[in-house]
Amino acid sequence: MDKIIRETYSVCPVCGAQIMAQLICTDGCVYMQKRCAEHGDFSTIVWKNNYDLISWYGNVEPISDWKCLYCPRCMEAGLCTNHLNDTCCVLFEVTSRCNLRCKFCFADNHQDIEDLSVNELRIRMYSFVKPGRTLIQLSGGEPTVRDDLPEIVKCAVDLGCRYVQLNSNAIRLAEDEDYVRRLAEAGLSFVFMQFDGMNDDIYIKLCGRLLLNIKKKAIENCAKYGIGVTLVPTVVPGVNTEDIGNILRFAVYSSPAVRGVHFQPVTYMGRIPFVPDDSLRCTLDELIAIIVSQSCGLVMAENLQPSRCDHPLCGFHGDFVVQKDGKLFPLTQKRGDAECCCGSESPAVRNREFVGRRWKRVAGHEAASCCCYQAEKDGDMTDIDYFLDRVKKFGFTITSMAFQDAENIDLERLRMCSLHVYDFKSGKLVPFCAHYLTLRK
Amino acid sequence: MDENKSRMKCARCNVELVPAKAHFSYLGHMFHTEVQRCPECGQVFIPESLASGRMTEVETSIEDK
Repeated sequence: MDKIIRETYSVCPVCGAQIMAQLICTDGCVYMQKRCAEHGDFSTIVWKNNYDLISWYGNVEPISDWKCLYCPRCMEAGLCTNHLNDTCCVLFEVTSRCNLRCKFCFADNHQDIEDLSVNELRIRMYSFVKPGRTLIQLSGGEPTVRDDLPEIVKCAVDLGCRYVQLNSNAIRLAEDEDYVRRLAEAGLSFVFMQFDGMNDDIYIKLCGRLLLNIKKKAIENCAKYGIGVTLVPTVVPGVNTEDIGNILRFAVYSSPAVRGVHFQPVTYMGRIPFVPDDSLRCTLDELIAIIVSQSCGLVMAENLQPSRCDHPLCGFHGDFVVQKDGKLFPLTQKRGDAECCCGSESPAVRNREFVGRRWKRVAGHEAASCCCYQAEKDGDMTDIDYFLDRVKKFGFTITSMAFQDAENIDLERLRMCSLHVYDFKSGKLVPFCAHYLTLRK
Repeated sequence: MDENKSRMKCARCNVELVPAKAHFSYLGHMFHTEVQRCPECGQVFIPESLASGRMTEVETSIEDK
């Protein structure tokens, strides 16, 4: 029997009009169902009931007053007064060019747009950077196609960005060590490295070329100059879902050079090869079940908890410390809001400090070994001095962000988004999933 | 407590403090460290450097995002 789990709002994937939507449990799974008066009915799977969805929602309030709901008009107008979250990270596209053409790409940039100069980018950055607070993600296209990227990094640092993150496919980071050195000297904090699997068949399918050894070399180069790397797999059913455990084990083995894994279930925005059926979606609960199953005891489900910054359905996180024997000591556990200890800081600020703390490497430990687990006896994690030393050097995160596309976008989630894209046309900050929202052709 | 670093005494019992292991918990995690403790009444002395230093660091480290 069908059961309505949630009433919310979405958009028509054809015309983009704001329409009502329901999350309905039927046949053991939860689907978003919506109807556009002009374009008909749409249904997309959003939860596969590996874990209880109601519990996962926690105490997040459903939308109560749709008249105040301007989403996703923020595509043009920027964040509205009814947006419920601050900015945690600003994604800043420094180029449209790319040296790959991946099957899935949220940006799907136009290759013919000329790059802005460093000075023009400086003026744009100045408009949104809050000194001492901003986490900027330099993105693209592929930012490393720019020879002057180190200057852009330095510019962001000089403007007062607290953290400067690079989103990269790793090719140049592997092939040009001196470029990595210059990025480090300019003040780059950490790299989000596209990393889809541990065998090259996956890269052939997703990116059209052999890339595994290139990724490994890039990690090595970043380690040499103390730049933390977080691996970012795009999880595509039938392509790399069987490799998730291998990715995790490699990442743990590569700690402290690798600071964590950030999973992104495939989203159909930007470059969309087709309108997906439900078998081509990996839901958050399914991803957690796969991680737990394939990690063979390394990760337990209770150590992966819903996002407390964005909407719970937008992601999960787990905070760990890699121990000397290669096991993960979990820090994250379920707790009620009453136990929250974070004072009056906004969720976006807490989130920014959390990821910055974990993804940035501790200075002076560039050469820390990453492959000596079996021989060493573990220290006492209840000893305050040992714990602090270990967590700083070998902190490790398992996180996920489930982006939304035109089929499954939920405006209850969108209004809580803390990842904002700088829109070069309007000069405003726009929630990620509104900025890249792509309607059916 | 009388905070004289060389020979700290318990203000109530007037006996010298001795090193002892203190346990504390935060957000479900247990930790221990060495502090000065009165052998008579059992009170421990937590110096400011520990409270606002390492203990705060531990709290920050395990606080959720």
